[in-house]
Amino acid sequence: MWGRTLQFLPEKSLREGLLPWVIGVMLFLCTLSLAGALAIGKGIENWSLGLTSNFSVQIVVKDADERQRQTTAALRLLRATPGIENAKTLADAEIMALLAPWLGDMPISSELPIPTLIEVNLSETATVDTIALAERLVATAPGAQLDDHQAWMSQILELATVVQLLLAGVVIMVVLSTVAIVIFGCRAGLATHQESIEIMHLMGAEDKTISKAFDARYLAHGLKGGFLGVLLAASVLWLLTDLAESMGQGLIHAGLPEASSLLWLSVLPLTASLLTMLTARITVRKALLELM
Amino acid sequence: MISFENVGMRYGMGNEILTDIGFSLERKSFHFLVGPSGAGKTTLLKLLYLAHRPSRGLVNFFGKDLATLERSALPRIRRRIGVVFQDFRLFDHLTAFENVALPLRLQGAKKAQVADHVEELLSWVGLEDRMHARPATLSGGEKQRVAIARAIINKPDLLVADEPTGNVDAEMSKRLMHLFVALNKEGTTTIVATHDETLVRSVGAPILRLEKGQISLEPGGKPIDPGA
Repeated sequence: MWGRTLQFLPEKSLREGLLPWVIGVMLFLCTLSLAGALAIGKGIENWSLGLTSNFSVQIVVKDADERQRQTTAALRLLRATPGIENAKTLADAEIMALLAPWLGDMPISSELPIPTLIEVNLSETATVDTIALAERLVATAPGAQLDDHQAWMSQILELATVVQLLLAGVVIMVVLSTVAIVIFGCRAGLATHQESIEIMHLMGAEDKTISKAFDARYLAHGLKGGFLGVLLAASVLWLLTDLAESMGQGLIHAGLPEASSLLWLSVLPLTASLLTMLTARITVRKALLELM
Repeated sequence: MISFENVGMRYGMGNEILTDIGFSLERKSFHFLVGPSGAGKTTLLKLLYLAHRPSRGLVNFFGKDLATLERSALPRIRRRIGVVFQDFRLFDHLTAFENVALPLRLQGAKKAQVADHVEELLSWVGLEDRMHARPATLSGGEKQRVAIARAIINKPDLLVADEPTGNVDAEMSKRLMHLFVALNKEGTTTIVATHDETLVRSVGAPILRLEKGQISLEPGGKPIDPGA
């Protein structure tokens, strides 16, 4: 594949001049889409990790004495469950603070029955079967309701998956567009160099010898455009990281470029240049087959 | 060495440009190909330098039937054929030296070997002072000599020249013809397409005459120009 290249094409060709720039723009879009998809993936992973390490149990019973009895039973059961690091009831004041956005500043002694809220933290590596635990809790304390955030977390995960799929679709479209652009560029190049190709062909050049000259040319176009696009995208990502950091931890923060992320960025121009070269090779070889 | 039998040629669904062409070129022979414009000379030359396959008939190159040859086998045969185009077809961005070196580089010759051969040949065609000039700065005669040098640098078995004197003056025509005759004497089978009857008579070689797509062979006469 990398044997000696007999370069018979002129160094500059006006028709091909724009190709590295177009590849650069494509790589820019591709890099941003990939970074977006990865950022969302990483963000969701970090976020769900935080949520799955704890859950809450409410004791919803109107009668205060019965509520206290069920709370004690539930706490006993929870603390005896393997994998649970600690379980503690939230103070009434904390619960009222949580409810304040909906109920306003109500006095704690209000007649409104407020459920008891138990906050449960799991050990770092523990996994707890929350469905079985919920059943056991109900058997012990009929007013107990376990909330492990699954109901709404699964919706968020679904949304994130859809966004990731959309971004993957963008990447695929950008890659296909790049291939199409390279094919057009290559055909334009072939038309420009038609006579040179014919002469080489009649001199006895094999198809691979002729296509190698284009390989080298388009590999260079791909590398130039690829590095240009990725450098631009990397700059934008750095700016976004700064912005995200100044805004605090968010969903988009986690996947934005850290030093290790730069590694996959550097792979993109190489992939783009190989894709460009292979596309050019196939286009040239197909065109050469039309010659005797 | 080369033989055509009942060869016909048409482009697409058009009329036959060449009809029932039959001739053979023996080793070390020299032929002129003459005929009026539109008679099919260029088409016949294209068949000779393997730019096209004939529509019908048998063509044999160096003992191999063209019809049975794979496409991948053709480059090897093309390397045994030198072509001089009427419009030179030099690479404008390459120097005379680089243009002539191309066929050798195609065969993977070593750099030193390429330099020796090309310099020697360009000197032989009288271009030792113009080796590093690009075609745009060369005269018509100089370009044609570069084109000839490129065609013969590989010492081809067959040399095909299409109107090689069409773009040069009478004096240069004579000099170029001397070159072809000298090459032929060294063993290269040569076929030269031309309109120039004076040139043909000066060499006295056999003539393949094409008229209305059909070919006839006329024996050679006595050369008029003793130098030829």
